[in-house]
Amino acid sequence: MKIAAFRLFNVKRFANRGVAVEGIGDGVNVLCAANEFGKSTSFEALHALFFQPHSSTAADVRSLRPYSGGNPRVEADIETEAGRYRVAKQFYGGRSAQVTDLATGRLIAQADEAEIFIEGLVRGGTAGPAGLLWVRQGVTGIERRSKSEEDSEKQVRASLLESVQGEVEAVTGGRRMAEIMAAAEEELGRLVTPTGRPKAGERYAAAVEERARLEVEERRLEGEVTALRQALDARAVATKRLAELDRAEDRQERRQAVETAQAALEAAKSKAAVLRAAETDLTLTRERRDAADKKLATFRAALRKAETLRSQLAEAAHRRAEALARRDEAAATVTQARAESEAAEAGEQEARALLARLDAALRSREAAERLAELEQRLAAADTARGGIEEGEAAIAPLRLSDKSVAELESVEIEIAKLRAVAQAGRPSLTVAYEPGAPAVMLDGKALTDGEPLSYDGQAQLSIPGIGIATLRAGRTTGDGDGLHRVEERRRVLLASLGVEDLAAARGRQMEVQRRESDLRELKARLSALAPDGLAKLREDVVARRAVAGDALELKEDPAQVRAAHEAAEARRLAARQALREAEPMQGGAGDAVVAAETALAALQAERAQAEAVLGPEETRAEQENRFAGELAELDAKLAEQQAVVAGLRESAVDLASAEATLRRVRSVADAAEKEAGSLRERMAGLNAEIRARSDDAVEENWRETVEALAAANSRVAAYEKEVAVLQKLRAALETARSRARDAYLKPVMTELRPLLGLLFDDVSITFDEKTLLPHKILRNGQEEEVERLSGGMREQLSVLTRLAFARLLAKDGRPAPVILDDALVYSDDDRIEKMFDALHRQSLDQQIIVFSCRQRAFQKLGGHVLQVTDWHPG
Amino acid sequence: MTFRFVHSSDLHLGKRFGRFSGDLPGALREARHAAIGRLAEHAREHGASTVLLAGDTFDTETPAPQVRRQALAEMSHHTDIRFVILPGNHDSLQTTQLWTTLRAEAPQNVSLAVEPHAMELAPGVLLFPAPCTTRRAGRDLTEWMDGAPSADGTLRIGLAHGAVRSFSEEGDGLEVIAPDRARRAGLSYLALGDWHGGVEIDPRTRYSGTPEQDRFKHGRPGEALLVSLEGPDALPEVTALPTGRFAWRTLTLELLDRDDAVAGLEALLPETRQRRQSLLRIAATGRARLADRTALSDAIDHARPDFAYLDFDDRGLATECEAGDLDRIDRAGALREAADALLAESEDAARSAEERAIAGAALARLYAYAQAVNP
Repeated sequence: MKIAAFRLFNVKRFANRGVAVEGIGDGVNVLCAANEFGKSTSFEALHALFFQPHSSTAADVRSLRPYSGGNPRVEADIETEAGRYRVAKQFYGGRSAQVTDLATGRLIAQADEAEIFIEGLVRGGTAGPAGLLWVRQGVTGIERRSKSEEDSEKQVRASLLESVQGEVEAVTGGRRMAEIMAAAEEELGRLVTPTGRPKAGERYAAAVEERARLEVEERRLEGEVTALRQALDARAVATKRLAELDRAEDRQERRQAVETAQAALEAAKSKAAVLRAAETDLTLTRERRDAADKKLATFRAALRKAETLRSQLAEAAHRRAEALARRDEAAATVTQARAESEAAEAGEQEARALLARLDAALRSREAAERLAELEQRLAAADTARGGIEEGEAAIAPLRLSDKSVAELESVEIEIAKLRAVAQAGRPSLTVAYEPGAPAVMLDGKALTDGEPLSYDGQAQLSIPGIGIATLRAGRTTGDGDGLHRVEERRRVLLASLGVEDLAAARGRQMEVQRRESDLRELKARLSALAPDGLAKLREDVVARRAVAGDALELKEDPAQVRAAHEAAEARRLAARQALREAEPMQGGAGDAVVAAETALAALQAERAQAEAVLGPEETRAEQENRFAGELAELDAKLAEQQAVVAGLRESAVDLASAEATLRRVRSVADAAEKEAGSLRERMAGLNAEIRARSDDAVEENWRETVEALAAANSRVAAYEKEVAVLQKLRAALETARSRARDAYLKPVMTELRPLLGLLFDDVSITFDEKTLLPHKILRNGQEEEVERLSGGMREQLSVLTRLAFARLLAKDGRPAPVILDDALVYSDDDRIEKMFDALHRQSLDQQIIVFSCRQRAFQKLGGHVLQVTDWHPG
Repeated sequence: MTFRFVHSSDLHLGKRFGRFSGDLPGALREARHAAIGRLAEHAREHGASTVLLAGDTFDTETPAPQVRRQALAEMSHHTDIRFVILPGNHDSLQTTQLWTTLRAEAPQNVSLAVEPHAMELAPGVLLFPAPCTTRRAGRDLTEWMDGAPSADGTLRIGLAHGAVRSFSEEGDGLEVIAPDRARRAGLSYLALGDWHGGVEIDPRTRYSGTPEQDRFKHGRPGEALLVSLEGPDALPEVTALPTGRFAWRTLTLELLDRDDAVAGLEALLPETRQRRQSLLRIAATGRARLADRTALSDAIDHARPDFAYLDFDDRGLATECEAGDLDRIDRAGALREAADALLAESEDAARSAEERAIAGAALARLYAYAQAVNP
């Protein structure tokens, strides 16, 4: 926001008058006028416009009214990013607040809405400093002040300091914050330790302790009450049970039950005795009857047995005779077979001995034959070895080096080549003879017709009939040396090989090859004769010679001998087979004889036994009849006794159940007596316990404690809430303060530092950590209390701080005008000039409005000089 | 002929009141004991010779000996008045100890209605008691009255303790007394106990309520009933007699945003002399501004010593906070930031009610501190 103009009417001494300051621009604006002009009036009116609601009748507003009364009116034209507006307020009569858009002339807000608009201008939110930064002579311009305050230099100085503080406190909460924080801390400290635990010895801890005590007490009492109730219940149960047990008719009933059961048991016992006697008799009779039955059965069985045995004995005797005959026959057969077997055995042994001798003779003859052959092979092998040795000895001197022969061959070729070349370069002579012409001789050699003949250097041609013509070649051939050298080499090679020429060398090579072939043949023969070497062959011969020994004479024919042995063997096997067949037959026959004898003996013994039972033959029928009669008699007696016992059993009573019944009814009666006794004892104990507890009124105590515990719980909860509230408050305050510090104080310090540098050398300010107020000044390395600074310095500090805030706001996108009302009363002119520099430096992007009555001093300030004109609201 | 008696119940003699501290529990206990004398005085004054106590005469089944003995001593002092004591659920027959002892110690003019048998109160007047056999009988103990015989023209009076429909102090509904028992059993009057506030179920069936209040639940002062029966068929004539010494009351202070909370409180409080005998719970509801809240809290603290007991419950009271209130903390700066943050938190629906309440209380505290320190 920037202020473009302001006007006021009916304010203070301008009763029924108005003044206007128009054309306030960017940068430094100066309204310099003498005191009586009403400079402060303008200042206060402007302040009221921005900070006092139009409906207010506060002292600040009251003080605006002229002595004669009237309704003060103030208006200002402002510029913001959004546009240009006129803000106008009238206080008291016809009170109003209006905002008009200067571009359109349209009224855009009235009354409370206009107030909200204004508030939006001067407050960029609660967290920051006001959007208008006022520095006034000695005060912030916001607080009320007394005349005496204004007059007192001391007060002025204090106020000046506060004017810095005012801005800082506006942001940080300052001392109020610190005091509130301290109050909250103190209250919290009375409740909890710094770690948040109830503080010992204080109310909260006492409440917690009380609660813990009550909890323990409540549990204890509850336990006692439970015990009491249990005892009461137990006694009620016991009482009821005892009454039941002691009822007379029940007792009578129990006694009668016992008596009845006793009588029933006696009756059952006597019946049981009669039955037992009858049963004994019955058993006896049954035993006798069974014995008679058995005796008769035995006798009859013996009769039948005797009959059977008679025929069996005859049969057995017959079998025995047969077995004896077979045994004798078998013995004879065996004796015969054994004799034959022994004879065959002897024959076979003889034949085998003869065969063995024949085999030995054959083997001896074969060995001798083999030895002769080996000796022959050894002789041939020795001969072959001798041939090889001789051949190898003969071949050695004939062998020529293949390399030398190859060189000789190439040398021969070279010579031929060189000779041909030499021949080609020589002069030659050819004669074409006329028919019948005599032959021309060259160096004694006749020339053939048309055949060239060459010569070296000089030759003599004798032409018959003519004479001798001497031919001279102009030059000799240069290659004669090469040829000589090669020929010399051939000569050396031939000498070293010991041959006359290449053909001889080749012949020698052929001879060597032939001989080598002969040697290979000999070697092959030797290895065929002695494949494992000559030494081995020789060893074999020696070994064989030792084995061969003397040859046996062979008289018999081996085939006949072998056939005779085979026949003997066959006979022996047959004889053995026959014996093996005969022998078991003999054993079986013996066994059959024993079995037959045994069977016969057994049958004879049985017959003797049966006859012992039966007695003499003639008494047997009579005996049988007697036994049958005895049995019939006993059968009748048994039937009779069985009927008697059945009758008795039917009418018998179960003794065991009669006894059980008696036991049961007796135990019922006994248990009732015993239970009654123990119940009486138990009740005595319970009575004592109940009396003790109810005399102590545990139930009342418990109920009291339960209620007290509930109260203690809510008391503790109240303290807990109190602690939570205080902690919450403390946290909120700390958060707000540290946010303010981070958001404003540090940036302001950053802004302030270059401004300070402009005015003072080597000055820095420290701010108190708690109150965040200017605390100490560090000048030339010396710390000074802010309170001890000179008035001039303090007011300069105050202005610079505002400028720092203004810079900060401008950077924040919320430019705010800085209004200085005689802010530099105590500063000397030198300092004032420096301040002016600071202001101008600042005013590059900042509107600064300076009110001053020090016209002379402020002439040097420069800037835009404002003029006051008369004004009357339209 | 006219038969006249006093109907009372729930004396809860010996009750300790452990939730209070100081002299108050003793005074309250003493007031309960004194109710015996007041009942006798009323009976005598109104020409009644019988006091029917419909259960819970004693607070527990095993009262301290002095409670029991002093009660009997007080009753025996009023020789011209016959006290009939019925076992209730608090002093049921279950434990027998109390009633065995009472039977041994009871003076001539104290009758124990411990059997469900008719008792003759006067010639032609039969009492049908339904003593509580246990703490929770689980059945309607008055059922036997229906078939109980009596000569023609007899005044039949029932005496029982327990819940009728939902009128129960602590029952669970199993042992509900038939609400029309009086009609069914031909009773001229059924005197009930258990409910601590007097209630008329029908013209012949009533709860007398306790003669001395012991809780905030019922907004009625302690009283007893004087019952006059002209004949078996005539409707009973019932008069309530004041017997309470201490008054227990819950007062609701409803505040609207702009109401003067302190004035509202003053209007609500009883006159100063009565306060000594008053146990008061003030439940504030509605909305109040920060300043009013602080002032109200101070006013309560100021008035508290006047009362036997004064409880202030402001859980139902929402704090109304305006910019002006916050301005009184600070117009701007960190303090205002803190106040705004607390206000936002106290209105933040995303937080639990408890957190909101704590934030609101912290704001109120900040307000109070801000007023205390120099602006």
